[in-house]
Amino acid sequence: MQNQISVQHYVAAFGKRVILKDVSFSIPSGQLTVVLGENGAGKTTLIKAILNAYLQPKSAADEVNGIEVSTKKLAYVPQFRDLGSDYPLSLAAFVGLAIRQKGWPFLTKKEKGRVQEALALVDLTDLKDLPLSKASGGQKQRAYIAQALAQNPDLLILDEPTAALDAKHSQEVVSQIRNAQQKKGMGVLWISHDTSWVKDFSDNYLWLHDGQAEFGSVDSLPDAARSIHQEEVNDVN
Amino acid sequence: MLTEAYMQHAFLAGTIIAVVSALVGTFVVARSYNFLTHSLSEIAFAGAALGFWLGFAPLLGMMIATASSALAIGALENAKVKSDNVTSAISAMAIGLGILFLALGNSSSTAATGILFGSVLGISMGDIALLALMAAVVIGLIFILFRPLSLLAFDEAGLLLSERKKGLLRVAFLLIMALSVAISSQLVGSLLIFVLVTLPAASARTYQKSVAGLIALAVFFALFGTWAGLALAYLTNLPTSVFIALIEVAIYLLSLALAKLD
Repeated sequence: MQNQISVQHYVAAFGKRVILKDVSFSIPSGQLTVVLGENGAGKTTLIKAILNAYLQPKSAADEVNGIEVSTKKLAYVPQFRDLGSDYPLSLAAFVGLAIRQKGWPFLTKKEKGRVQEALALVDLTDLKDLPLSKASGGQKQRAYIAQALAQNPDLLILDEPTAALDAKHSQEVVSQIRNAQQKKGMGVLWISHDTSWVKDFSDNYLWLHDGQAEFGSVDSLPDAARSIHQEEVNDVN
Repeated sequence: MLTEAYMQHAFLAGTIIAVVSALVGTFVVARSYNFLTHSLSEIAFAGAALGFWLGFAPLLGMMIATASSALAIGALENAKVKSDNVTSAISAMAIGLGILFLALGNSSSTAATGILFGSVLGISMGDIALLALMAAVVIGLIFILFRPLSLLAFDEAGLLLSERKKGLLRVAFLLIMALSVAISSQLVGSLLIFVLVTLPAASARTYQKSVAGLIALAVFFALFGTWAGLALAYLTNLPTSVFIALIEVAIYLLSLALAKLD
């Protein structure tokens, strides 16, 4: 199977503090991989490095800091978005914004179809005309995911998309993304604190701990990785 | 009214200015750059005063001053320097320099009033040609950059570009803003720049839910205010900017009230 992301001897450090020490792994295409790890383990740092490698102009080496991203179209859902309380665009207009980042100003008929399809995948068809500022937290999160899906990515990267949601809405988003991933056959790299759904809805895990990266099938997910979320919940309590 | 050449010129210039201001204003308001627009208009004042002193077209002076300031502000923004305070310092300096240039050029108070409050009723066909050229540049740039600019203004987090390309886009947007401020100053003056650049776009946000819809309604509000303002100025012999300002503020307050009721 072809790899969508290949990382060789990658090091991440802030000053003298080393976050990831010489890590190497490969992420296969067309599968859902969950990135697990405690706060400060380097999850967001790693994702940003992958995005950076994807966004750099492609050279003969096609590799940035030991990271090679072999994908035509990557879409990214960041953890935070500050759109303001009077944000005027509807859910459909918001989803259509990023469908293409250059070219003819107006959406083509085909692109409008992709917006509708993406909204349907996250169950927002009925709310397409609602201003995003009036949507609930869960609806907003689903609109962010729909915006990424409408770009028809072969690789979708999500940074804790369910962090601000309650258990019920979180479960809905997880199953909708899994559904979209299987339907479109795209790769998904998903940073998550919540490990409760990982066994049932993902293919692989990438566990960042003690400066190392451990990749494997979810069937062999170590108990220590699975308990991250529980420990953090206990810490809060 | 429309049989007189100076009013034909004023309507033609007013139409060009209203369209460009509202178009750019839609992105300015979405990106919350209202304050920066005001600062650029003060910088435009200094540029125009420099033109009076050195004997070249005030519009050209405005364009050079605003564009170079936009480049400086863009560099600061890309260097992640918090630029609000720096922008305040630059605009204070611009006003000071503007007053100095007017004094050095022994310019009449009419010249200063023209820059500060607009003077579209005396506009020549030559000035209109220059306005039209600048407007074409702004509209052309927005047409080419529409998709990335829409993302930059309405959802910067969704703009997946390398830092270098993002930086270039930010600077391009600031240059578009700078040109539109110089254009808009011709009608409402540099003191009332909010009137055409930000108010119509801010009012449109109550009614429209797409970028194209916001632009269309902002252009409509700006044109309505401009045409009605010119007609009222003709009938009352009072300055045009007074009426345009009052009409645009009234539209904005009504939109705000409707938004609260919703």
